[in-house]
Amino acid sequence: MIQDEVESQLSAMFDGELPATECELLSRRIDRDENLRARWSRYALIGAAMRSEPVATARSGFARRVSAALHGADERSRPKRGRRVLLNAALSATLVVAVAGLSISLLRDAAVDAGAGSVAQAGTARGVAGGALLPAAAPASGGERALAVGAAPAAASVAALRRGSNGEPVSYVTPINMSNANTALRTELADLIVAHSEYSTPLMRRNVLSALVSNEDAANNASPGASAPGAPANFPAGAFDATTAIPAASSASR
Amino acid sequence: MGPDASDLSLVRRVQRGERGAYDLLVLKYQHKVVKLVMRYLRNPADAEDVAQEAFVKAYRALPQFRGDSAFYTWLYRIAINTAKNALAARDRNPVSYELDLQTNDDSSDMVSRLKDPETPEGLALTEEIRDTVNHAIEELPEDLRTAIVLRELEGMSYEEIAASMDCPVGTVRSRIFRAREAIDRRLREVFDGGLGRTEELV
Repeated sequence: MIQDEVESQLSAMFDGELPATECELLSRRIDRDENLRARWSRYALIGAAMRSEPVATARSGFARRVSAALHGADERSRPKRGRRVLLNAALSATLVVAVAGLSISLLRDAAVDAGAGSVAQAGTARGVAGGALLPAAAPASGGERALAVGAAPAAASVAALRRGSNGEPVSYVTPINMSNANTALRTELADLIVAHSEYSTPLMRRNVLSALVSNEDAANNASPGASAPGAPANFPAGAFDATTAIPAASSASR
Repeated sequence: MGPDASDLSLVRRVQRGERGAYDLLVLKYQHKVVKLVMRYLRNPADAEDVAQEAFVKAYRALPQFRGDSAFYTWLYRIAINTAKNALAARDRNPVSYELDLQTNDDSSDMVSRLKDPETPEGLALTEEIRDTVNHAIEELPEDLRTAIVLRELEGMSYEEIAASMDCPVGTVRSRIFRAREAIDRRLREVFDGGLGRTEELV
């Protein structure tokens, strides 16, 4: 009797004539009752046959396979979302590294260009006033260029930058007491990395900053005696340290 | 509520997150969609795979379905496009089709022929279903036959049928149910006795 009522409900639901609340309950029952599912399917077949519609009987479990395919698609889409997040993070990290690398390169070139005609001219170099890097008066002669930094020409904290035949500087040396534009630029670079720290991991930031430091150190070590011909005696090559601004920035980034 | 409205009711339930309602739509239209796809892909196994793909695509697109057309009209277009794409893909890769032919043994080939409505066996099955249904309807009492015909052929709602037959809506519901039960009983005999494939409709 109860089964009759359920089947009567099924027929009414098939026609869309069952109240929504009953539909919900019956749907749950259909989901676990193969007999009701088969009956529902045959009701469709009866209607199609009455209307002379073309039909073909599907293999066993067709609807179950569709349901499984939908379930599988849902499952597959979840790890995809996870991979997308990882990909975004990797792209962001790559972007940060690329920007940092480009900045290092630009800073180096800017420093070399700025120093090209300054200190090598021994006393003709103009210092940096108010934190702004001023262009040198004239290019160095004999293929030699120097980076001039310091508040005044008198305190010419000079580092010699020799260029080889390929135009690349042999070393990059900056004075330890730099309160100048070169420091400011490097600080800007450090600030840039810190400002974009949301896109990188602490380890990655540290790597970038370490690379910045080690590049300068390597350059120093490569030419320990490299000093400008006109450099004062109280600024030996070993006294120059390019990393003055970096530790503070590095610690700030952590 | 007409047939389109009953489908729309199921669609709305799916759009509210009730996947079981989509299962009912699949059960309802699987025969028509498989048959439709078979116009393009004659191999029944391929046709079922493509029909399955069409149902999956339809499910994914269902949030965008607004009900401007009937659900089956919308599903029909998806199934046709999926079948055409599958056909084009198969033409680009004929090797897989040849492999399918080679892996068919005699038993599976016979089943395929039975399920393919274009083969003599398939046509016989389709005709047998149609004849069984029509004979069952002819044997129904007048009130049951009128109710089921008004519903299935005229697409009238229970309320409209009740008005037409001058009886309560509950009586219409009961008559239609009893008519379906009588026809279904004959149909099960065909499947159980002749082919033993009643469960294959699920």
